Amino acid sequence: MSEVQRKKYSDQEKNRIFDGEFMPHIDSMYNFGYRLTFDEDDAKDLVQDTYLKAYRFINSFEQGTNAKAWLFRILKNSFINDYRKKSKQPAKVDYQEVETYYNSDDVDYGITSDLRVDSVKDMLGDEISNALNSLAVDFRTVIILCDLEGFTYEEMAKILDIPIGTVRSRLHRARNLLKDKLRSYAQDMGYKTDEEE
Amino acid sequence: MDNNLEGTGERKLQCNDVSKCFQLLESILDGNDAPDSQEVLKSKLAKCQPCFEHYHLEAAIKEVLRTKCTKHEVPSQLVEDIRQKIEEIK
Repeated sequence: MSEVQRKKYSDQEKNRIFDGEFMPHIDSMYNFGYRLTFDEDDAKDLVQDTYLKAYRFINSFEQGTNAKAWLFRILKNSFINDYRKKSKQPAKVDYQEVETYYNSDDVDYGITSDLRVDSVKDMLGDEISNALNSLAVDFRTVIILCDLEGFTYEEMAKILDIPIGTVRSRLHRARNLLKDKLRSYAQDMGYKTDEEE
Repeated sequence: MDNNLEGTGERKLQCNDVSKCFQLLESILDGNDAPDSQEVLKSKLAKCQPCFEHYHLEAAIKEVLRTKCTKHEVPSQLVEDIRQKIEEIK
């Protein structure tokens, strides 16, 4: 975002946009922050920082466009630029692993899973959450944006600053990794998988 | 989903183009689909067992993610803190 912006909204309009279009998303924003950092204080800082930036740069927000996507993009950038830099866990290892995946265009759609639909439906919320939380942050993020928050591929591409094709392939890889985790849970918890038959 | 399709027993056991099909199925499931996608979906699920299984498993996972993932309540002080900070920069 540029510091140089033309004056666009009056103070009254700014307050109306902030209260009417930005604040209703605070629940999703906080949960996104929490799922990125796994820490209540870090999530609060990220969300607070995001809303301050949103107010500061409110003139670059076009009314009628997707405020939630705009806010998510700011939070994601804050997470990468601010949180990751000062974090004691720079996440270098898993990020390299992730990048190795990304550098291949050859997405293997042929991976099959012996995980059963019934086993998935029987799983507890904690098991689902733990499986999601165990994924590297970039894979976790696409699943959060798509499956939990319901963003379109186009919105995700804008939030993450990546092409739509990369959204599709990253999402597919994330889902395969998630299925691996869920299958492990299913086996550990004694749910049936086809492998046992 | 049309339950009548579940009992056809005539699906092929191998998909001819897994890569293309699974990507299309996931796009449809995610709502990023073309106008004729429901027809395409019906046809694929009726004719191809790997597509049928992939679609239903992905749909189930998507549903449990949406409905069962732990949600954290926004700390009560956060909204007030944000408003206070905004007042300071106004």
